[in-house]
Amino acid sequence: MTKATAVRASGLSQHQFKWLLVVPLVAFFVLFFVIPVGLLFATSFNPAKVGQVALVSDLTFDNYIRFFSRSNYLIAAGRSILLASIVSVITLIVAYPMAFVIAKTENPARNTFLLILVLASMQLDMVIRLYGMMVILGDNGLINQILQSMGLTDGPVALMYNFRGVVFGLVQFALPFMILTLVGVIMGIPPSLEEAARSLGASRRRAFMRVTLPASMPGILSGSLLVFALSISSYIVPALMGGFRVGVLPIHIYQQVAESARFQFGATIAVILFLISATAVAVYLKLGKRSSGGLA
Amino acid sequence: MERKIPLPMLILAILGFCYLLFPILVVVLAGLTTGEFLTFPPKGLSLRWVISFLNSEKYLSAFFFSFKLALMTMIVSTILGTAAALFIARSRFVGRTALRAFFLSPVVLPGVVVGFALYAFFITSGLGISRTIWGLWIGHILYSTPYVIGTVGASLATFDVSLEEAARSLGASPMRAFRKITFPNIAQGIQAGSIFAFIVSFGQFEVSLFLSAPNSEPLPIAMYNSLRYKFEPDAAAAGIFAITLVIASVLLTNRLVNIRRLLERQDG
Repeated sequence: MTKATAVRASGLSQHQFKWLLVVPLVAFFVLFFVIPVGLLFATSFNPAKVGQVALVSDLTFDNYIRFFSRSNYLIAAGRSILLASIVSVITLIVAYPMAFVIAKTENPARNTFLLILVLASMQLDMVIRLYGMMVILGDNGLINQILQSMGLTDGPVALMYNFRGVVFGLVQFALPFMILTLVGVIMGIPPSLEEAARSLGASRRRAFMRVTLPASMPGILSGSLLVFALSISSYIVPALMGGFRVGVLPIHIYQQVAESARFQFGATIAVILFLISATAVAVYLKLGKRSSGGLA
Repeated sequence: MERKIPLPMLILAILGFCYLLFPILVVVLAGLTTGEFLTFPPKGLSLRWVISFLNSEKYLSAFFFSFKLALMTMIVSTILGTAAALFIARSRFVGRTALRAFFLSPVVLPGVVVGFALYAFFITSGLGISRTIWGLWIGHILYSTPYVIGTVGASLATFDVSLEEAARSLGASPMRAFRKITFPNIAQGIQAGSIFAFIVSFGQFEVSLFLSAPNSEPLPIAMYNSLRYKFEPDAAAAGIFAITLVIASVLLTNRLVNIRRLLERQDG
């Protein structure tokens, strides 16, 4: 044991009551997160009975059989996965140049200003941001007004209340998360790597494609998984931008529970959504661990 | 000498920032417009809808409901989150990385599912707090505490533990060493974390969906319910106040902690 750890051993870190620090939050999470989600899992194995919330001891797979044998639910699951995948790719393409510019802005004041813009939009309530998106993309929205005043179209172009609109909204929602993930990774790439490639005669584009972009791969992968998990979970964006015409899993959960009082089947869809999202998060965490050890 | 950032990259980045920020600007303009709705080009600016918001029963009470809920959430999240962050930073318990990931997980798990789980739990357990401010409070604490852990954790990571050890070796009790040395050094991180907790709760939608009651709704839910049917400019005016609150809190956070450093620690 070194001297430093010997000293530390007598400090707060080895003290018996350090456990007390974490007990309240563990208790809170167990009581209000683990148990409720666990009960939800249990509910999904109960026989379907409209209006009943309470758990019963009968166990059945009927709800899952129903989910996997009805094409509209399978289509909803497929649509959710497709939507989240498309959003991940588009968000990556839009976010990468933004993250690159932020990471390469050396002036500290300007760099901080850009980060504040990203953080402020991330923290802003999504309903407010969607209000803005709807004013821009609606049938009487700004884009359609401009298109019509320029005589480019006769009728309005349907930019929302469809799948496309949900994609537009989700990209707006997910951008800050992707940018912040990428900025951290791009800032960590030593500039000497690209300089070395350049001094060996690579063109700027080639140096970027062969050196900088591959070196940002860990950020690209973890950012995409994060965006996937966030966008497959979103209720508000499909609800407002899709106008309930784009039936994704979170919309089905709400309809089953709040409109039809089918708690058991709602719980089944919720469990399936939870598992898809948790899988993406688990892979994200695994990648994060490997990339932080691998790059430097 | 060539530019550090290639021109095509810069243009794409500017377009990206427009995509991110233009909808927010539109809300501000819609709240300040003279007409019944926002047209292009805007007809003119007035405070008409801001005044209408300040007189509206619906949005003003929702605004204050959210404010109160966010304050309540902030207090509990700050206390629980700071204590947990201290434990995670200082213990050598093998599962502490997993524990940290567990505490951060609500951020990325579906809020509608967690809200539904809590709603069903409140009903079946007979706690009697489904669709009350207490139920919302619990849901919001789950989603705000991770931000406190992240921010306080980052400030603990930059704090030199040997300072505390020095105080201890000079005979200070653990509590005294914490109060006199560690706490003053991480106080700004704690303040920044509490601001995050406040603003995350203030803008929370997904968890609130199943937990809020028709007559006492947080602002995002109230705005959502009206936005489903029509665009009310006084909702945009309420948005202006929310936008101001968010910008102020991010600026304040930036004065308290180095935002850049906060990012670098994200994966750790």
